Amino acid sequence: MTGRTMYPFNAIVGQDEMKLALILNIINPGIAGVLIRGEKGTAKSTAVRALADILPLIEVVKGCPYQMSRAGDPGVCRDCYNTGCAEEIFDGNGVDVVRRKVRVVELPVSATEDRVVGTMDIEHALSKGEKRFEPGILAAAHRGILYVDEINLLDDHVVDVLLDAAAMGVNTVEREGVSFSHPARFTLVGTMNPEEGELRPQLLDRFGLCVSIEGSRNHAERVEVMERRIAFEDDPEAFCLKWKEESARTAERIESAIKLYPEVNIEREKLFSIATRCMEAGVDGHRGDIITLKTAKTLAAWHGRVHVTDEDIEVAAGLALPHRMRRQPFEEIGKGRRERGYAG
Amino acid sequence: MELHNNRILTEDYLYPFSAIMGQEDMKLALILNAVEPRIGGVLIRGEKGTAKSTAVRALRRLLPDIKVIRGCPCLCDPGSPLHACTQCAEKIRTGKYIENAYMKAPLVTLPLNATEEMVTGSLDMEFAMRKGQRRFQPGLLARVNRGILYIDEVNLLDDHLVDIILDVASSGVNIVEREGLSYLHPSRFILVGTMNPEEGPLRPQLLDRFGLCVEVGGEGDLDSRVRLMEMRESYDNNPVEFAARYLDEDNVIAERIRRAGERLKGVVFPQRLLGLVSEICLQNNVAGHRADMAVKYAARALAAYEGRSAVTAGDINRVAGMAILHRRRDALPPSGHDDPDRRDDAGDRDDQKERWQNGSVDSNDMRSQTHENGEDRGGEGNRMEEDHQGGPPDPESRSEEDEPSGVTEQVFEPGRTSRVQSITQEKDRLVRRGSGRRTRTRTTQKAGRYVKSIHSDKYPDIAIDATIRAAAPHQRRRKKESGMAISIRRDDIRRKIREKRIGNFLVFMVDASGSMGAKARMIATKGAILSLLLDAYQKRDRVAMVTFRQRKAVVNLQPTASVELAVRQLGEMPVGGRTPLSAGLLKGYELLRVHLRKDPSSRPIAIIVTDGRANVSMDTRLSPSEEAIRMAAEMSGEKRVKYVVIDTEEKSVVRFGLAARLAAALGAEHFSFNNLVAGDIVSIVRRSI
Repeated sequence: MTGRTMYPFNAIVGQDEMKLALILNIINPGIAGVLIRGEKGTAKSTAVRALADILPLIEVVKGCPYQMSRAGDPGVCRDCYNTGCAEEIFDGNGVDVVRRKVRVVELPVSATEDRVVGTMDIEHALSKGEKRFEPGILAAAHRGILYVDEINLLDDHVVDVLLDAAAMGVNTVEREGVSFSHPARFTLVGTMNPEEGELRPQLLDRFGLCVSIEGSRNHAERVEVMERRIAFEDDPEAFCLKWKEESARTAERIESAIKLYPEVNIEREKLFSIATRCMEAGVDGHRGDIITLKTAKTLAAWHGRVHVTDEDIEVAAGLALPHRMRRQPFEEIGKGRRERGYAG
Repeated sequence: MELHNNRILTEDYLYPFSAIMGQEDMKLALILNAVEPRIGGVLIRGEKGTAKSTAVRALRRLLPDIKVIRGCPCLCDPGSPLHACTQCAEKIRTGKYIENAYMKAPLVTLPLNATEEMVTGSLDMEFAMRKGQRRFQPGLLARVNRGILYIDEVNLLDDHLVDIILDVASSGVNIVEREGLSYLHPSRFILVGTMNPEEGPLRPQLLDRFGLCVEVGGEGDLDSRVRLMEMRESYDNNPVEFAARYLDEDNVIAERIRRAGERLKGVVFPQRLLGLVSEICLQNNVAGHRADMAVKYAARALAAYEGRSAVTAGDINRVAGMAILHRRRDALPPSGHDDPDRRDDAGDRDDQKERWQNGSVDSNDMRSQTHENGEDRGGEGNRMEEDHQGGPPDPESRSEEDEPSGVTEQVFEPGRTSRVQSITQEKDRLVRRGSGRRTRTRTTQKAGRYVKSIHSDKYPDIAIDATIRAAAPHQRRRKKESGMAISIRRDDIRRKIREKRIGNFLVFMVDASGSMGAKARMIATKGAILSLLLDAYQKRDRVAMVTFRQRKAVVNLQPTASVELAVRQLGEMPVGGRTPLSAGLLKGYELLRVHLRKDPSSRPIAIIVTDGRANVSMDTRLSPSEEAIRMAAEMSGEKRVKYVVIDTEEKSVVRFGLAARLAAALGAEHFSFNNLVAGDIVSIVRRSI
């Protein structure tokens, strides 16, 4: 996609929990994102950017600024000036649909609200004297991954906008002469360094999963990290080529998990086990239950199974619940769950 | 169809109302409002993930049809020509033919970041460009007339929008006088808001606007939780089919609402029950008469919804709680939260001002007030009630639990934290920058939220939309520049006005030397920092702490907004040894300077806790106290910092008054304490801001 060569996803040493959480989100966007908490230099951003490597394909109307899968949505397409779709449909012609990879759209911490939600197209207004909506980052992120690095440093009013869109799946704009709304359902991926302050509870809750990562304490692993990094920097192309096959395998496995997911079933009894866990953990509301269930099912699909096992639930709960427990204000997120290992 | 411009997308796939599990109060409150709009709306408060927004969005399908004047963007009612908008009034006056149309009552979402002119309506720019005439383009308040105005996260709504909403909600009319336009249209709507109290409280005036208020929580029993998961999965797997399955049930409710609306006029409210309503309201000490009215309307709507022709005492009892919950002044203590110390910032400026004036004349008074609150909840109960779900839990019990075993004598746990009153500056005209939520301020940076525009040619932050609107009516007369459709002149230029909240920056400089009282002082200071940080939880303040002892000063707490981090860092802090006062001042000053460099327009506060008895100097040529005074004099040159000296010198026969001298050199306020407790510091800081 971009000219720059990305560090391959599979070449990231360790951090299995983070990688798993990301993969589960790709398989099932319903999990609603992952928050990656960790100190500096733990490959947080690298991992997210590297996702481009293994993302699946989706169908998108060609050139559609809102990433719609089909043209003709009365809410969006009628007011969309950005493509010729509407005329094509009126003329009875079909619109071109292309297959492209799911996108990772990055929201920079310094992004202005206008850029995020979209705004009036100034150029058009000045040259034609007409109003039209210029879509922002939220439109670009529809059906994709919205990545916010250092999300805890995001300006408050941009957070409000994100919350709104994440809650509704719709971006409603009533600004600067523009009144418009378009779908904005995205997988929110955020990274943060907890030393720089916590997230607002409301935003925290929007993340389906949460993983806390730290640098490896294993000597051999640390050496491995250095070696790979140097190899990559010396010759990125060659390095990626070496990992190409493995990336392709992961991408393939993701594709088949996506296909398998609808068939995954779970015994009712296991639902009770999820509910019990959530109640014991004292999570607010029901999002914890729902996300745990989805995550467990996705895990089963990832492992090529159609039945959810107890282990799936165990792992899913470990990913979906730590940031939802009712916390005393002085407690750290994810305290006391580090010992639980990665069971993938 | 042009009326549905802003309709919610993918409406057919919305989670159906009748498929929402439990939450009976919330569903009933919404239904009653759909039956009888005069109830005045509903505020839904509750934790995350409790189907708040889902329910409101699903409500749209249940709304009854309304009769409107065809083509009227303000959805004027043909039945009440006296309240028609300017355009319809003109039509009626001139005897033009008026055609009726039917449509579903609208449900309009007010996004938190809406700009003023989109809400009130503004000049129709395209029309002005083409015709050179001014025409009103209706805003959100027109589209929502006779429908539901939905505000998600209503407690986060910017003040300028809250003011507009309050104004229109009370008058039922939106009067627009802007951009050379004069327009009036009815705007009566049911206000529906959802909020999570964790994110901060709601302004009381706005709170009172909501006819009813319900609290929602998660389902307690396993069976419902499991059932809920199953429903949700089934919906996610196939939303269309799921919605179709519940269509009938939704239709039944919709029909009941419609019928109840028709029956409403005929429902009798027995005279004897009026007494019951006022008795309930009096007993709960609610303010004003809005609660009485809400109870009456809601009880009648309930009777109508249940197909009865007269209101019963049961109806009143069913709805009274919802009408009173948020207005109650003399509430029972909320269960599970018996923390007398915690007072909650209900956010009302006036209220604050009042408490200020009564409360914090001096710190002794403060303390006694704290005490009183502990015993007598009267007057505070409702504030606690309002927020009891969300805020940080009792800090006191925590600090006790946290007591690690085997602490050395030199390290002290943070002292009792004490409740924090709201610290808010009055909004001023000074422009600042920053990110936080404590103080709202206008900003010059291009980063705040664009709230409205003013006429100006001085600043670079041009509000292009407003500028074009200003220029639009003149376009036909002006000569076009080549290639441009619009010619803009200097006096068309409008500048954006942005608003954002900034957090405060507090630096504590604490004497940790071995001189008398260090232990108590340390405990009190740590307690104060934690109290302020707990309060800052919702407000994005940053706090730093410097201590000085032995030969040097250390930054114990780097500027942080993280309570967790502060607790960890404050935990280990030894005291004892000599007093390098000047080094401490220098260290603190460095922090302040760094902060000011990043944010030159901020007004940080420095709190210096010491007895002033310096006995170590940085430069051996100067005496320690002389050095400290000189240092202080230099620091006083930085006028942007507000200094506060808390003097901890023992009350004894011999007093040196060194801290007082220091305060004088700094130009600081000086407070003297014998037995310092956290509450004292907190109240001082509060007064200083």
